[in-house]
Amino acid sequence: MARMKFLVDAERCIECNGCVTACKNENEVPWGVNRRRVVTINDGVIGAEKSISVACMHCSDAPCMAVCPVDCFYRTDDGVVLHDKDLCIGCGYCFYACPFGAPQFPQAGAFGLRGKMDKCTFCAGGPEADRSDAEFKKYGRNRLAEGKLPACAEMCSTKALLGGDGDVIADIYRERVVRRGKGSEVWGWGTAYGPGKAGAAAGGKS
Amino acid sequence: MKRAALALAALAALGLAGCGESDQVVVYKQGKYQGKPDGRPWDSAPLAQEQRGGTWNKGDKSSWESALNARNLTQNEYKRIYNQ
Amino acid sequence: MLLTRKTSGPAVPQARLARGLSGVLAKTMDRRAFLQRSGVTLGAGAAAAQLPFSIIGEARAQAKGAAKVEVKRSVCTHCSVGCAIDAVVENGVWVRQEAVFDSPLNLGAHCAKGAAVREHGITHDSHRLKYPMKLEGGKWVKVSWDQAYDEISKKVLKIREESGPDALFILGSSKHNNEQSYLLRKWLGLWGSNNVDHQARICHSTTVAGIANTWGYGAMTNSYNDEQNSKCLLFLGSNAAEAHPVSMLHTLHAKENGAKVIVADPRFTRTAAKADKFVRIRSGSDVAFQFGLLYHIFKNGWEDKKYIHDRVYGMDQIKTEVMAKYTPQAVEEVTGVSEKDMYDTAKMLADNRPGFIIWAMGQTQHTNGNAVTRASAVLMLALGNAGITGGGCNIYRGHDNVQGATDLGPNAQSLPGYYGLAPGAWKHWARVWNVDLDWIKKRFAAESMMGKNGFTVSRWADAVTEKIENVDQDSNVRAVIFWGHAPNSQSRGPDQLEAMKKLDLMVVIDPYPSASAAMFAMVRKDGAYLLPAATQFECAGSVTASNRSLQWREQVIEPLFESRTDHMIMYQLAQKLGFADQFVGKAGGKQNIKLVKGKGGMDEPEMEDTLREVNSGTWTIGYTGQTPERLKAHMRNMHVFDVKTLRARGGKDKETGYDLTGDYFGLPWPCWGTANEKHPGTPNLYDISKNVMDGGCTFRARYGVEKDGVNLLAEDGSHSVGSDITTGYPEFDHGFLKKLGWWDELSDAEKQEAEGKNWKTDLSGGIQRVALKHSCVPFGNAKARAVVWNFPDKVPLHREPLYSPRPDLVAKWPTHPDKKTLYRLPALFKTIQDKSVADKDSEKYPLILTSGRLVEYEGGGEETRSNPWLAELMQDNFVELNPKSAADRGIRNGEDVWVSSPSGAKIKVKALVTERVAADTVFIPFHFSGWWQGQDMLGYYPEGSAPIVRGDAVNTITTYGYDIVTQMQETKTTLCQVAKA
Repeated sequence: MARMKFLVDAERCIECNGCVTACKNENEVPWGVNRRRVVTINDGVIGAEKSISVACMHCSDAPCMAVCPVDCFYRTDDGVVLHDKDLCIGCGYCFYACPFGAPQFPQAGAFGLRGKMDKCTFCAGGPEADRSDAEFKKYGRNRLAEGKLPACAEMCSTKALLGGDGDVIADIYRERVVRRGKGSEVWGWGTAYGPGKAGAAAGGKS
Repeated sequence: MKRAALALAALAALGLAGCGESDQVVVYKQGKYQGKPDGRPWDSAPLAQEQRGGTWNKGDKSSWESALNARNLTQNEYKRIYNQ
Repeated sequence: MLLTRKTSGPAVPQARLARGLSGVLAKTMDRRAFLQRSGVTLGAGAAAAQLPFSIIGEARAQAKGAAKVEVKRSVCTHCSVGCAIDAVVENGVWVRQEAVFDSPLNLGAHCAKGAAVREHGITHDSHRLKYPMKLEGGKWVKVSWDQAYDEISKKVLKIREESGPDALFILGSSKHNNEQSYLLRKWLGLWGSNNVDHQARICHSTTVAGIANTWGYGAMTNSYNDEQNSKCLLFLGSNAAEAHPVSMLHTLHAKENGAKVIVADPRFTRTAAKADKFVRIRSGSDVAFQFGLLYHIFKNGWEDKKYIHDRVYGMDQIKTEVMAKYTPQAVEEVTGVSEKDMYDTAKMLADNRPGFIIWAMGQTQHTNGNAVTRASAVLMLALGNAGITGGGCNIYRGHDNVQGATDLGPNAQSLPGYYGLAPGAWKHWARVWNVDLDWIKKRFAAESMMGKNGFTVSRWADAVTEKIENVDQDSNVRAVIFWGHAPNSQSRGPDQLEAMKKLDLMVVIDPYPSASAAMFAMVRKDGAYLLPAATQFECAGSVTASNRSLQWREQVIEPLFESRTDHMIMYQLAQKLGFADQFVGKAGGKQNIKLVKGKGGMDEPEMEDTLREVNSGTWTIGYTGQTPERLKAHMRNMHVFDVKTLRARGGKDKETGYDLTGDYFGLPWPCWGTANEKHPGTPNLYDISKNVMDGGCTFRARYGVEKDGVNLLAEDGSHSVGSDITTGYPEFDHGFLKKLGWWDELSDAEKQEAEGKNWKTDLSGGIQRVALKHSCVPFGNAKARAVVWNFPDKVPLHREPLYSPRPDLVAKWPTHPDKKTLYRLPALFKTIQDKSVADKDSEKYPLILTSGRLVEYEGGGEETRSNPWLAELMQDNFVELNPKSAADRGIRNGEDVWVSSPSGAKIKVKALVTERVAADTVFIPFHFSGWWQGQDMLGYYPEGSAPIVRGDAVNTITTYGYDIVTQMQETKTTLCQVAKA
């Protein structure tokens, strides 16, 4: 059974922001809302600088779902965490709960009130008829229903960002780890998908 | 704010230290919109060929999954480089 | 690359991620502020903020109903990697963009710019120039195309009458496709001047001059893909992770498979973060670094002696100079790199062969740029790393078509195809163009002017303002056309402003009117016209990537607003100025280039026919085999090309039945002979391990057969595989064919044409055909020249920058003496350097100022800063400042600072405190414009066409300094001071 996940290969991410604009382009995300962004740690420190692309990881045990007071989140059959903007009250609890800073709140109205929460949908739209205009307007494209994968991962400049079935992308990553002969840890997987068997994602050290 | 910062600190420690895949018991929760359920991706018909989407049999989950898995290999340049 | 993100230390990302709501809201506030600043009406801004996905409305609404969906294949216009794009067009509206996984160049991958190109097709809230405009009483007013053409042509003709054809200067563009670039050079030739130039001047002119003089061609020797076959990649003067992000797919793949990556740079760049070894050098010390490596290579006997014996001339002279001048102590003094680091780097290069040296503007934009690039070639030659698979000089071009525009387009020193400006070159092209040579001669001020290099883009302002007695033509430049070129790309901003004050006429032809319009309006009340050009997504044509592969772009959408294609504008201006027939080669009952209906049913030259004319004349660099039909077949069948070799293993194009087997993707030039020869293109230059018909190549015989009694041809036994001549040989001409006894292999028709000609000028292609038949390379088989005796520094020499931070080193490594005339203008060297030392600039301005690229933006940046998806990522210009330099000046991260230089100008930017730069260096990106020394120029832009993000241009403060061979500007090393604003 497919279980959709993201994986960022920090050895490859060069902070080109291709994933960010691919998302903006495909989902017509407005200015000020960043479903995905790239973070660089230890900037300028020789030997320690790493860049990582961050968005909703579609967690197994998603904290956002747990804290939502109106229960607007749901999980699809293939493991994508989505939400219903008609139910969302824009309270922002999910943002505090999220370890990845994924939920975004566009400003609405003159007094700086928060609008409905917006976040990465794994390019899977939301609870409207698939590929309908209504779905597109509220949630963006539904690429999964077109037999495509998220635009960010498909357009990543160095194929650092992988998106798709967890087993398939772990296989892709595993091959790289074997070639490199070092480093099998995957950023964020423990938090998003649970501790589990160490090194399973990348098949352990080579 | 503080909580998020703490969570992140923990993440930095845990997340970078090594991790793996837990048993994936995904509880499927039907989404809804004004009482109507969210559609499942394989219930849509594939796009016309020229629009570069995958091909599967409408309503057949496993054929949709194979289409996506095949497409996933475009994210693996090793396949394009060595297995062509 | 958000400014806020770029501080050092691990605390930052946490803070950023955890910043949460307040951060998001703050951003939204920024946006509102920005909307007000950029003149978007409050209503529209507020509406957009409230309705997250409202912007999709327009395009989708039109697409309703019986949608006609087409997918057009194009190529990204933002760098030279050549990333293919599938544009989904619904009823004429570009609605989506899909990755092209089949492309062997980018495999579907894109950087921020490539993933955002669809924005070009979005019409609401567009920052494009929408209709022709003219400056009248200090205001930009809308005019019709006809009025604009009438007034412009009248003025231009009047100036021509008063001051001659050389009073016009055109700054052409590397963003034009091959056909348009070629047509623009022809256009100016027919106008009667050589005063045309383009971005290559300030991009890779020193590379082309230096490298072509070393071994034949000035192009990148191999492909990005070929890095996968390499064991060592030395980046010196390239930040590929930001400038050519998709190339890093190949680089990191190579690294994953064992290749060593070394980055030598004044900055710890994003590329350096991925390297095995980072070496920090002082900006402007490149030759000392390269020769410092050679010192260890020679000392330890790591050079490839057989290779040098067979294929290199003059390496002994290099060795003598290296061992005498570039001792470890001297090198450390100049570069700041320790002996151990130099040794380790040299050993890494020697132990891991084949290897590449990779560069971009970091090597070229120096007053001794021609020497720096040659030193790179010499380093590779010593290691035996040139002309092989997995090794060579990968010279990353900047603009998407700067390679093609250099090959075919508007260059001040050459007609298309590097034919130069000699009488023979004019004769050749007049024949190709089907234009009477005598008629062309009469178009010029004098016949002698035909052979004289024109002005360069780097010094267009001096061409306007220099005292006439110092100018090598009868008049100053009085009219300037910025045809896809931004002034903030050139150094010495204030001097350009002075030139604008003096101009009789300025015309800007551009999709984005660029800073030139705003600068002009800041100091003038009238005298300028803006014409909206279409983008490359609104026309078809071929584009040459950095690896010399050509790709054909389909037209994605019709030209938006009132814009017209560049070739339509050229043709219409030619009509107004009276040489339209010559422009399309109409004479004697023949017309080379047919006219087709373009926008609004108006005539424009057909791009396919234009390429065919290019094919018929560009023999020098093998642009002869790439017919539109072959290129289109390649674009339709990208999947058959292997990623590591770029070669098609098989496959037939369904549409035409064309057999792709054996072709290299995009037929990388030289693609010898006519298309009938079915030459597959040359993936790696000078690679003798292949037959020439399999893409093999030798070093070019360009400088005679001997020098002072030393053989310049390749030694016996060194030749491309299968060659019927197994020694070195000169270039092919009619005499050589006869001597070889191969003359009779020509047909009678070919003989008639080839008599008295050589491989470059024989329009029948017979000479090349026979050479290829014998598996010989038409341009001969010679040695590469490590010593270029026709340059001021025969052996590359370190020379301190004009504004040097080290007066003590100026004494040891002084710059060149001044030159009275170079590209029609005086060029100062020693005068400036001596003055800088006497003025104690290095004390008043103690920081080295260097500039470079950001991933989000391209070139002058008007286009990319007008794209909201990109603009949001980098909203301010900034200066990278080491924590020590910041602390010493009481500057905190994010504060406004003034950066001033010895030129007297200053700019206001944000401080970015980071350890990326050392304490003696600061860095400022060069993509910004729209502020002038701290003031927003918004009011001077035509309404609605100011870019979203504006900032002070670094080139407002860059100083005087030009390469002695090509007039490349020095923008990588000068001096500055930073102070809190």
